[in-house]
Amino acid sequence: MNAIAISGADFLREHLRARLTLVLLVAIPALFVLASASVLGEFAAALGGSVAGDSASALGAGWAAAFLAGALGFFQVSSSREADRRLALAGMGAARVAVARISASLVLGALISAVAFLTLLLSAGVAHPAHTFVAILIFALIYIGIGTLVGSFVSGALEGSLTVAFIFLIDAFSGPGMSDSGGIAQAMPTRKAADVLIDAGAGQGSPAGDWIAVGLVTLGALLLAAAAFWLSARPRST
Amino acid sequence: MTSTEPILRAEGVEKGFHRGVPPRRRRVEVLKGANLEVRRGELVGLVGENGSGKSTLMKIVVGLLERDGGAVERSGKLGYCPQIPLLWEKLTVDEHFELFARAYELEAEAAAAQSLLDELQFERYRGYRIEELSGGTRQKLNLALALMHSPDLLLLDEPYSGFDWETYLRFWEMSERRRDEGMGILIVSHFLSERERLDRIYELREGRCVET
Repeated sequence: MNAIAISGADFLREHLRARLTLVLLVAIPALFVLASASVLGEFAAALGGSVAGDSASALGAGWAAAFLAGALGFFQVSSSREADRRLALAGMGAARVAVARISASLVLGALISAVAFLTLLLSAGVAHPAHTFVAILIFALIYIGIGTLVGSFVSGALEGSLTVAFIFLIDAFSGPGMSDSGGIAQAMPTRKAADVLIDAGAGQGSPAGDWIAVGLVTLGALLLAAAAFWLSARPRST
Repeated sequence: MTSTEPILRAEGVEKGFHRGVPPRRRRVEVLKGANLEVRRGELVGLVGENGSGKSTLMKIVVGLLERDGGAVERSGKLGYCPQIPLLWEKLTVDEHFELFARAYELEAEAAAAQSLLDELQFERYRGYRIEELSGGTRQKLNLALALMHSPDLLLLDEPYSGFDWETYLRFWEMSERRRDEGMGILIVSHFLSERERLDRIYELREGRCVET
């Protein structure tokens, strides 16, 4: 357990020591939340959606958390794949490396969500704080799953970050409130989380069914992330 | 100190890779039944031209790469020093020692790290992040991490790239001393000048190991 805690702390430190990561951690939520408040309503209307006002700002915070978490999830796998495998081979084992990585990811996800939530709180106010924070966190956790999954299959930094950005764009612009929500929108990973966040932004609660759906998608995303970390660190048979 | 029982045995190892994209996609067979053995107290070289498959064979033996055929048997504690240092850019030298000590389940972590910091003479960099280190110092840490748990079998893939002449000579002294203490060492090299330092040499030719 001690080895996992130390490794997890080191993996977390590795990201938080990158200055650009820290700058983006503050800049991206600010950009998304402020942009959402001013132009998202018009943009959504053009796409056939109806999101506007505080709900749009809340959705912007969720997107910011998702975008950052997806990028960090991808780079957690792609930038350290070989070193993680070496550590696993040295005796740590792929499972313990995966648990340490997922622990670091959860802390990063919580940190990203906290910054996005705080930005939203300071810039637009939050009518339903608990639901809003949980929904933003769920956006982050789902995208940690997506980012790590992409990282386990795509090794190039450019190709991988473009793939994460592509998934994010399709997901964001086909989500509830942004389009007529037909076709592909039904299958996008953050659909239910966006429903919950839009409701929370408008000061309303969400039906239990939405929360259950969101919980299942989040659990699935985290299991995918754990599997992706394990696959990346797994030594090959001798 | 050399024993007759191999600590590492590779038999008939085969490996091929797909290269290019369709319709120009083709399969290149790199290893076509490579055999080698290393015993305790032996310093064995694996030489060959660029692209002959030395690093591929080393990665298969270590367990970093899947083989297509053949068998690999290892016993005892393994130490592996990859050709390119596999480290975390934002972590310090000390943090790397700490991480690997946990992986090796070492109790005397501080003593093991200090001994190697002294032996390879990079003690003053222990608080530096990897991104702040020169190539040679990274390589020293790369080697130290492979040695810190005193393995029974040490696999070194061109471990001295970036070393200055003095460090290079010190590296060979360290290897010979450990060999004399009973460690089995396999070292990938492409320098013919190192042949007199090695007990046995395998040369990779057309995907097979030939003992020279």
